[in-house]
Amino acid sequence: MRTHRTIATAFGRTGLYVVLIAGALLSIGPYLMILNASFKRPQDLLTTDAWAPARHATFDNFTAVWNQYGMSSFLLHTLLVSVAVTLGQVVFSAMGAYAFARLEFPGRDLLFWGYIATMMVPQMITLVPLFLMMRELGLVDTFAGLILPTVFGTPYGIFLVRQHFRTIPSDLEAAARIDGASTWTILVRIMLPLSKPILATLATITFINTWNNLIWPLIITNSDRTKVITVGIAALQGQHVSDLPHIVLAGAALALLPLIAVFLMFQRHIVRSIALTGLK
Amino acid sequence: MSANISGRRVADIERAPDSSVTTAPVRTASPVVGPPPRRRLRQTLEAYALLTPSLLGFVLFLVAPIIGVVVISFFDWNLMGSPRFVGLANYREMTGDSEVWRSVRNTLYYVALNIPAQTVLALLLALAMNRGLRGGKVLRVLFVLPWMAMPVALGIIWSWAFDPEHGAVNQFLSLLGVSGPEWLSSTTWAMPVLASINVWQYTGYTMLFLLAGLQAIPESLYEAADIDGVTGLQRFFRITLPLLRPSMLFVLVTNVIGSFQMFDTVYVMTQGGPNGSTDTMNFHIYQQAFQLFRTGYASALAMLLFALILLVTAVQFLYFRKRTVYDFS
Repeated sequence: MRTHRTIATAFGRTGLYVVLIAGALLSIGPYLMILNASFKRPQDLLTTDAWAPARHATFDNFTAVWNQYGMSSFLLHTLLVSVAVTLGQVVFSAMGAYAFARLEFPGRDLLFWGYIATMMVPQMITLVPLFLMMRELGLVDTFAGLILPTVFGTPYGIFLVRQHFRTIPSDLEAAARIDGASTWTILVRIMLPLSKPILATLATITFINTWNNLIWPLIITNSDRTKVITVGIAALQGQHVSDLPHIVLAGAALALLPLIAVFLMFQRHIVRSIALTGLK
Repeated sequence: MSANISGRRVADIERAPDSSVTTAPVRTASPVVGPPPRRRLRQTLEAYALLTPSLLGFVLFLVAPIIGVVVISFFDWNLMGSPRFVGLANYREMTGDSEVWRSVRNTLYYVALNIPAQTVLALLLALAMNRGLRGGKVLRVLFVLPWMAMPVALGIIWSWAFDPEHGAVNQFLSLLGVSGPEWLSSTTWAMPVLASINVWQYTGYTMLFLLAGLQAIPESLYEAADIDGVTGLQRFFRITLPLLRPSMLFVLVTNVIGSFQMFDTVYVMTQGGPNGSTDTMNFHIYQQAFQLFRTGYASALAMLLFALILLVTAVQFLYFRKRTVYDFS
């Protein structure tokens, strides 16, 4: 009886692993296919199966998309915008989150619920007025126009960091206050060092969201001077998906690689912290 | 040293997520109870100084545009000339616009295809991962990887995979003796393809939240159930599912809001076609606002989208409020 049960469990466990590994392959399959295909020679691309490894691997697709199709400048623009927005969000969210988590001031609860309420507002709602505002300020097709709407932090960022700040015991601060430390000192010397994982998470999520954002750059930019990678690839795909698929593939691979790198670097924090925000 | 401390703290929270730290009401945060007036003034000034940048962004780029879109929805405006007040004309036009209602139907259809599949798959995945398998951490990372995919960059792979002749999907189906449809150029199949791409992207991400919820259920409940002779399926429906409701609510509310705003895949893969079958609300609003320059009308449509999202969210909250047990102890 007991051995029967053990065998059944062993079978169940193996079956589970098979399903889970198949699922994991499905999860990363599209990435692997893009990477693999972007190394294939154009003439091999349509004649070999999508999952067949690139036998005559070549860097030509990458050099072509980098030099002839403006990918180097699109990547540079995207990097500039993403880094600026990420830095701003981390710094300003931490400042705001500290006020909400630890200071008492009139209007705090009302303001905080105002922030939370706007998390439900669809982004599309704000885009038309935002565009008009940027046009009045003469910021259409500028980096400032790309960066400004999100650089000051989002309600989500503030919420995420505030939730974490509230888990830090307040006796640490009380002790520092008795020693005469200012609020700013407490924030920078005590709170921030204790919050590295959550700040890394916010930075990664912001970086990824900004890097991937299509709709706002589509609306606010209209020339190669400010074009970011999402818009560049969408245009490339619209024009050349049938005649130059290897170029489009190499462009897609170049756009994805930095994301994968950033994600893998911080995945430990992210996997933990994402789940943390869901528990209320 | 500090990194060590913070690492340990997060681990502690992960293990005990139902402790007061995440559920405490807003009031308890102050280090000092009832500060004297001078201190109070200083705290207020400091708080607003710290909040200045984020408040600036909040008011200028979130609150002002929300008010703006309401105002613009009462005007007729093509972005160039001067706006003309037309009262409710945009809203009246909307009620008779069959394309608008098609986009509403398309959006609801997309949500209906996408959310149940994604949630059930994520739940099954979370249950499997909660068994503490060897290699679970690596699997978890692999499952979450699609979450950060740039839809634009992956569009080419999806177009390729669903190509009727050379695509991987139809090649696989032909092995089973089935001849697959022309996925993206079929009015029947284009939307299910877009929905399944979203399922691919967000199932692992959703699983993370549900897994955290599962781990928060006290082991003692299952032990008690064991003593009472409660079997596997009953355990799931009587203990696991009811106690997972807070996580479920969070996941459903945020994913539904996200699905209502689907844009990137439509933009890069179908442009709303074939024959308007994937013209979702967000894409329709985008076209009206930034391709046809009907700013006022697009703003009215945005209000419709917002109203729909509010309605669906409220329904979910009401449904869960009646049935949710918040107290774990």
